[in-house]
Amino acid sequence: MTVEINIPPVFQAMVKGVHRIDVNGGTVGECLNEMAAKYPQLKAKLFNKRGKLPHGISIYINGENAFPKPLSKPVRPGDKIYISHIVLGG
Amino acid sequence: MKVNTGKILRINLSTGKVSRESVPESTAAEFIGARGYGVKYLYDEIAPGTDPLGEKNKVIMLAGPLAGTMAQAVSRWIVCTRSPLTGAFARSVCGADFGAWMRFADLEIIIIEGKVDKPSYIHITPDGCKILSAKEIWGKDTRETQAWLNSQHGKDTRTACIGPAGENLVKYAAIVSDRRTAGRCGTGTVMGSKNLKAVAITATRVLHLADPDAYNTLAKEQVKIMGKDGGFLNHKEWGTTSTQDITNAIGIYPVRNFRYGQKVGWQKLVGAEYRKLRVGKMGCYSCPARCGMIHTVTSGMYKGAHSEGPEYESIWAFTGPIDSDNIEASIRADQLCDDYGLDTITTGSTIGFAYELYEKGLINKSDTGGLELIYGKHEPMVALVEKIAMRDGIGDLLAEGTVRAAEKIGKGSDFYTMQVKGLEMPAYEPRGAKSQGYNYATASVGANHCYGYAAQDIFGAPFPHPTDRFDEGNADIVIFNQDDTAANECGVVCAFAARWGWSQLYGKLLAAARGIDLYKDDAYLAQVGDRMFNLERAFNLREGFGRKDDYLPKRIRTEPLHTREAEGEGQMVSHSDEFLDKYYSLRGWTKQGVPTDKKLKELGLDAVIKDIKGK
Ligand code: SF4
Repeated sequence: MTVEINIPPVFQAMVKGVHRIDVNGGTVGECLNEMAAKYPQLKAKLFNKRGKLPHGISIYINGENAFPKPLSKPVRPGDKIYISHIVLGG
Repeated sequence: MKVNTGKILRINLSTGKVSRESVPESTAAEFIGARGYGVKYLYDEIAPGTDPLGEKNKVIMLAGPLAGTMAQAVSRWIVCTRSPLTGAFARSVCGADFGAWMRFADLEIIIIEGKVDKPSYIHITPDGCKILSAKEIWGKDTRETQAWLNSQHGKDTRTACIGPAGENLVKYAAIVSDRRTAGRCGTGTVMGSKNLKAVAITATRVLHLADPDAYNTLAKEQVKIMGKDGGFLNHKEWGTTSTQDITNAIGIYPVRNFRYGQKVGWQKLVGAEYRKLRVGKMGCYSCPARCGMIHTVTSGMYKGAHSEGPEYESIWAFTGPIDSDNIEASIRADQLCDDYGLDTITTGSTIGFAYELYEKGLINKSDTGGLELIYGKHEPMVALVEKIAMRDGIGDLLAEGTVRAAEKIGKGSDFYTMQVKGLEMPAYEPRGAKSQGYNYATASVGANHCYGYAAQDIFGAPFPHPTDRFDEGNADIVIFNQDDTAANECGVVCAFAARWGWSQLYGKLLAAARGIDLYKDDAYLAQVGDRMFNLERAFNLREGFGRKDDYLPKRIRTEPLHTREAEGEGQMVSHSDEFLDKYYSLRGWTKQGVPTDKKLKELGLDAVIKDIKGK
């Protein structure tokens, strides 16, 4: 069984409408790296120059906020990762 | 610990009588503050059928119990009244310092009643209140007005005022404080109808907290958490000036009066382009985000235009509806709206409506005074902003909002009014973010994006559960967002800051500020949100609103959306009845959208039952 990553609408628009992908990592960071390898156009959106999540990106695992240190949070097969890209318009 | 329920300043402009009262403890327990107090006092004090522009309507200004303290992003303030644009319940939120200054004057509520004969303004100090002549500032724009008031009353003065649009009773005039506006629903129009130019408060910082020690400990924790939050840091950098990058990419940026969900060439409008014209930042009291980005145009026909903004909604309002990518024109139009005191959303949407009528041949050059309302042409849009504010030529008609304008024009023009309950829709296409759309449909004030912002649909936020943005079945999400917003607006927590990681402290901060422990329970806060929403619904039912008013515009329900390169091509809102049935049932309302007796009793709103019997 794999880990499912749910892609937020704005990133879906960058990967031809793909809404979710399955990956095999043991941590959130490994899963996101696998996703970035598959979709290099997302790399800069998922990691800043220091390899951290850029501001505005939040990660949820099975609905729970992965803050703090989201990239090192462990995940298990069957888990669902949600990437939320909250900018909020006013 | 002494309970601090908040004080009311009541000013009757007809009689000149001024009084101070305290909010009863039971009201504080049930409604917490700000918007909660607003709906409670408006419901109790305005008789059904009150003319929104008559002497009997009231303007209620509200600061929350956290305003003016060291807690961050909690000093915005709220105006409630009966809307002259819609006839429904009106709540409009404003920023800057005025909310904090209300609290420094030991006030949480200012109730303005009656009407004064001659243009006047109210000057409030911690121990007094005077109604003074506004002869010197009547006719002046909001910048000049505030500068004059400061020159009269000194640097410790903050004001909320109207511009010429409010004086001219444009139906969607705003109240302006510094360069921030309580924009929606025509709150400034009601002030204008009372001949009231401004409310000025002169005060210095004093705190009124039930438990200052507990409060300060919590506030320090809030500041610490917020400062590290990625959403906060992003907002500090961009404000909302890059939201159009996302909404265009996903096909929900309304273009040409809600026909398209993406602007051709939208890359010219992205946040990075606005950034090139940024010259500074400003914000609200005690908020380090300072998310109001100030722009100056340095060349071209709009050279010299200077505005705190536009933020996302106003960027859209002056580009999307007229299909323009001219950033400079949007800055100029935004500046004019702030100077004249106009709601940018309804102004832009009403102008977009006029452009479509022109395209369809329902109005022509002789109606527009020679202006050619052709898509992409921004000059007529800028000209129309001024004409609306001054009710000049076709501006007099457009100053009434799209519904009344369509009634006058006839010829089927009502199809092109993009509004719910008479309030024009903001910058998110409902067919591509359906929970956001159904929030427009069911929000008490009409089509308002921040009455229950669907971050689930728009940004993929997975709480309380993830959504498919094209799914019309998420009535529970719409209710969650609306009630959560209502509870936050008792605070008043800025809608952006509510998501910056400190929400678990909110109830505790409220409890320490008021001395009411009930607030510490999140379930209790949710119930207060529900109570407020139900009372707002009852207010609207008394005024004749009901299920028939909970539908999105016909275009949204019958015409497919065109998204160009984005996902969502062909989407429509097709299941309104099923949605409303589900939404009403989850809310404990009848099929007609009326809260049941059981629901009202559960919420302690027994007294309302008789008012809405038979609706
Ligand atoms: S985030 Fe912006 S709108 Fe909200 S309180 Fe701070 S400055 Fe005001």
